[in-house]
Amino acid sequence: MLSSDAANSNAGAAAIEAEGLTKHFGDFTAVDALDLNVETGTVVSLLGPNGAGKTTMVRMLATLLRPDGGVARIAGHDVVSEAEQVRRVISLTGQFAALDKNLTARENLTLMARLRGHARGAARSIAEELIARFDVEEFRDRLVKDLSGGQRRRVDLAAGLIDRPQLLVLDEPTTGLDPRSRQVVWSTIRELVAEGVTLLLTTQYLEEADALADKVVLIDHGREIAAGTPAQLKAQVGEQRVDVVAPDGAALTRLERVLEESFTTTVAREQRTISIAAPEEVANLAQVTEAIRASGIGVDEIALRRPTLDDAFLALTGHPAQNDDASKESHDEQ
Amino acid sequence: MSSEAIANSSARIIAPDRSQHAVRRFVSDSALLTARSLRSIPRVPERLLDVTIQPIIFILLFLYVFGSAIHVPGISYKNYLFPGILGQSLAFGVIGAGVATSNDMTEGVLDRFRSMPISRLSIITGQVMGQFCEALLGLTITVVVGLLLGWEPHLTLAHGIELAALMVLAVFAFTWTGVLFGMLVRSPDAMQGMGFIIILPLTFMAGTFVPIEGLDAVPKAIAHWDPISALVATVRKLTEGYPSHGSWQLDHPEIAMVLWCGLLLAICVPLALRRFNRTLAS
Repeated sequence: MLSSDAANSNAGAAAIEAEGLTKHFGDFTAVDALDLNVETGTVVSLLGPNGAGKTTMVRMLATLLRPDGGVARIAGHDVVSEAEQVRRVISLTGQFAALDKNLTARENLTLMARLRGHARGAARSIAEELIARFDVEEFRDRLVKDLSGGQRRRVDLAAGLIDRPQLLVLDEPTTGLDPRSRQVVWSTIRELVAEGVTLLLTTQYLEEADALADKVVLIDHGREIAAGTPAQLKAQVGEQRVDVVAPDGAALTRLERVLEESFTTTVAREQRTISIAAPEEVANLAQVTEAIRASGIGVDEIALRRPTLDDAFLALTGHPAQNDDASKESHDEQ
Repeated sequence: MSSEAIANSSARIIAPDRSQHAVRRFVSDSALLTARSLRSIPRVPERLLDVTIQPIIFILLFLYVFGSAIHVPGISYKNYLFPGILGQSLAFGVIGAGVATSNDMTEGVLDRFRSMPISRLSIITGQVMGQFCEALLGLTITVVVGLLLGWEPHLTLAHGIELAALMVLAVFAFTWTGVLFGMLVRSPDAMQGMGFIIILPLTFMAGTFVPIEGLDAVPKAIAHWDPISALVATVRKLTEGYPSHGSWQLDHPEIAMVLWCGLLLAICVPLALRRFNRTLAS
C-alpha cells in the first residue's frame, strides 16, 4: 500500500528511529534522552500526563523544534539535516486544530493540497474526496471558527491525509472532545490503521492508547517509564481495581488496616480512597465487600473500575501522575 | 466513508517532488499564502473596521468637533487635516499588521505550514503581502472619504506619482515593523495595548491635527523627530504645497521619509526573519 511512496524513502528504514532525543527549555528538561522506535505499518502511542514531554517529542520529530541532543530519523531521513525530506513523508496533526479558522473547511483542504504542490483542479478533487471520506459534507462551506471541536478535528485529520503520509503523527487527537466526537475520531483512526498507515499517537488516556495502539510508551518528565503492548502494560498495572471511599479520615485508617491484610492496596489520602487491585474483577469486588461488611466500618462508596493512567503511574513509578505541569507545557509553544 | 473512497485515496500518489524549482515554488507558495491572508480580511469584521471605520471617525471628530477651535495660518483646516489623517492611518497599519501577525503566531495553522514541504520564507511573505494589501485598502478608503468630504489636494501628475510611490514605500515599511512587533509580543491583546500606548501618541505628536510650532517643549521635541511627522509633512507638502519647519526632517520631509522607511526596513526585515526562523528551530 505504501509502495507509491517508496521512491521517497530509504527502503526498509523504520518509520521512526530516535536515540537519546533531548530538549531543554531554559533549566527545564522537557525531553530527557528518549529513545523511540516505530516500525513501518504499526501504531505506537506516547502516553503520559500533561507536561510529560509528549508534544515536545512530537515537535522535534516533525522538524518544528531542533533537538538539543540525540538523533532522530524519519523513514531514514535525519530530522535536522534532512528536514525537507522529513516534511515530505510526515504529516502532523497538532494538539490545537492546525487550520486557518477564517477559511471554510473546503478552502482549508484545497489550500493545503495546493501548498503540497497539486494543481488547482487536482487540489479541488482531493478536497472533495476528503470531504466525502471524513463526513465533512454537512459543514464543508462553514468557516472553521464556527465549527465544533469534533468537526474541526475531522477537518484537521483530513488535512493531514492530503498526500498519503509515510508517517502520520497525531498529537492528542481527542483531548477536549466530547465522548461522541471521540468515538468518531477513533473510528476514523481505526480505518486509517486498517489501511496500513504508520501512526504515532500521543494521548493522556490509557483507554485511548489501549483502543488504538500496537505498542505503548509511557513517559513522564521526558523519560520512558515503561513500554510494551497495551496488554503487557495493563498486566503490570493490574486489570481492574476496586475503589473504596471512606466517610472520614478515621474510617479510612481503620479500613486500610482491615483491607491490607488480604489485598494489595494503594491509598489516596486526600480523596479518602483505598484502591485495590482486582485481577479477578467481580470476585474481588465481592471479597472486598464481604471484608468491609465483616469489619462493620461504614463506607461512602465501593466501585469496580478500569485502570486509569493514574493507576499505571502508581504501579510503575510509585507516585501519581502529576498534572501540575500545565505551565511547563506552555514552554512547548514558544 | 465507503470502502471504495478509501481505496481511491490509497491509490493517490504522493505530491510532485518540487525541490527542483526553488524560486518558482517560493513564488507560488507566497501567492497562495497571500491569497489566504486576503481572503480572511472580510471575514474578520473587527479587523476591517480598524482600517475603514477608524480613520473615518478621526476625520469626523477633527473636522467637525475639534476643528472648529483649531486655526492654522495660511491653509483651510480641512486641507491641513487630511494629510495628517493619511499619515495617521498609515501608522495605524503597524498595529493592524502586528495584531494579525501575533494572532497567526498563536494559531496551530502555522505549525501545519511549517511541517509541510513548503518554502518557509513564503509563509512570512504571504503574511506581509496580505497585511500590505489590507493597509492599502484602508488608505484608499481614507482618501476617498476625504475627497467626498471636500478635501481638495492640489496635485500635479509628477507629485501624484511621487506621493503614491512614497505611500507604498511607507506602507511596506510599516507593515514589516508591525510584523516584527507581532512576533515579539505575547498576544494580540498585548499588541493592541502597545499600539495604544506607543503608536497612538506618536500619531498625535506629528503635526497631524495641530501645528507642531504651538506644542509644549517635550511633545515639540518628539514631534520634530517623530517619523510620522516626516510622513505627514511629505503628504502636506506634495498635496497642498504647505511647508513644515522646525527640524531637518521637516525641512526635507521626502528625503527624511525615504531614510526612515529604509531604516525601518533595514532593522525590521532581518529581525523579523531571524525571529521567525528561531521560532521554527528553537
